Amino acid sequence: MPTRRSLLATLLVGGVTLRATAARADDATTAKTFVNKLLQDLINVVNGPGSADQKRAALQKLVDASVDVAGVARFCLGRFWRQANAQQQAEYVALFRKVLMNNVTGRVGEYSGVSFTMGSSQARDGGIAVSTTVTRPHNAPNTVDWIVEVAGGQPKIIDVVAEGTSLRLTQRSDYASFLGQHNGDVSVLIAALKRQTS
Amino acid sequence: MQMPIRPILPTAPRPSEDRRSWVAPLRGPLLAAAAVLLLAGCATPPPPGDKEAVAEFQHTNDPLEPANRLFYAVNDGLDVVFLRPVALAYRNVLPDPVQRGVHNVLTNLSSPVRLANDMMQGKPRRAGDTLVRFVVNTTAGVVGIFDVADDLGYKYHDSDFGMTLASWGVGEGPYLFLPVLGPSNPRDATGFGVDIALDPFTWVGKGSTVSNLYITRTGLSAVDARVGVLDDFDKIRKQALDPYATIRSVYRQYRGAKIKAAEDDNRATYPSAWKQQPPAASP
Repeated sequence: MPTRRSLLATLLVGGVTLRATAARADDATTAKTFVNKLLQDLINVVNGPGSADQKRAALQKLVDASVDVAGVARFCLGRFWRQANAQQQAEYVALFRKVLMNNVTGRVGEYSGVSFTMGSSQARDGGIAVSTTVTRPHNAPNTVDWIVEVAGGQPKIIDVVAEGTSLRLTQRSDYASFLGQHNGDVSVLIAALKRQTS
Repeated sequence: MQMPIRPILPTAPRPSEDRRSWVAPLRGPLLAAAAVLLLAGCATPPPPGDKEAVAEFQHTNDPLEPANRLFYAVNDGLDVVFLRPVALAYRNVLPDPVQRGVHNVLTNLSSPVRLANDMMQGKPRRAGDTLVRFVVNTTAGVVGIFDVADDLGYKYHDSDFGMTLASWGVGEGPYLFLPVLGPSNPRDATGFGVDIALDPFTWVGKGSTVSNLYITRTGLSAVDARVGVLDDFDKIRKQALDPYATIRSVYRQYRGAKIKAAEDDNRATYPSAWKQQPPAASP
């Protein structure tokens, strides 16, 4: 026979589950709105007026505001993060940001005329995956999933998955292999990143 | 009536055609390849004490890494001097619609292989898509030049025997970088061979015209495939610290995503309109 306590516990657990579900649904909406706005902003910059330098500056601002750069940088270093000292970590994150910016802004020209449509969203990879279809002129449409973390209200991008290929996973295996060949010495990676960004 | 068996029986080898003669020119390269494999050997696992490194080594699953890297370097060299320039020229010289037409014809020609694989994967809707695409594009699309079926909602999807094996539960196995073919694994390499055997065009006809057409198709397919990844490869070469490891990661993820997409595609085989009907009231 169900006691009053077990009934209460059931209600409580049920209530918590319901609230968690509601929170997830909220997060999904937040993530979707966030990605939609971000892409709209990106496209406005890329297709908008202004010199290449102005566009680059505007894109940098967008990336800083919407991507969890430090978090992604840390993820990409994987197990070597803890082997690096505080100074190396800081230097690495700064260089990682520079590489990311170069990659994003170096191809402004290629992205003119780009358009997108929003797809579904679902919880995945420690965040919410918002699917989009991105179409560039003269190119087949690409499926791009934006993994958004909605922690503490402010949504941030933690990964971009293009046609099933996660950028942060790919980057991590690149760094891991490079470090594997250099005895896991983070300073060698930092030197390589410096060369890459200079 | 006597069957004309005699002509297809091999005639006694003349001295210049004996078995040694075709091995002889290959002996050098074969010995070199064997020597390379012996010298390159296997990847050295990290010391068992370093648990994280061991986990990473197992996750990377590339026990033949030294040999793979060698083949990667050879392929990369060939690509730089040969395939990439050809692909670049192809992309820059031929007008867009021609390139798209060639791509569509090649895709259409490989439809039978995809159809067989869709069926072996037990995916009736995907098989239906492939079949309709083949029929519509071969006829209305003028031997496949125009992808009319795409406009009608029958979208293209990849399907090969590597994916079929995966759907049967066969694991990918260790990473392989094959000469000429590039990134692979035992499962996908097997799939590649089986797909050739599954292709009706492999078995159709004999004679110089047919084999010339076959060679043309193979060559065009290689160039078309290379054009498709020109920008991505250039980006990896330029930006990756270790392009070999990056390609290994990208290949695995890309294949994994394709296999998952096929696995998740469980569209019903009845018309979607039926779904909207209210369920019958239970008595």
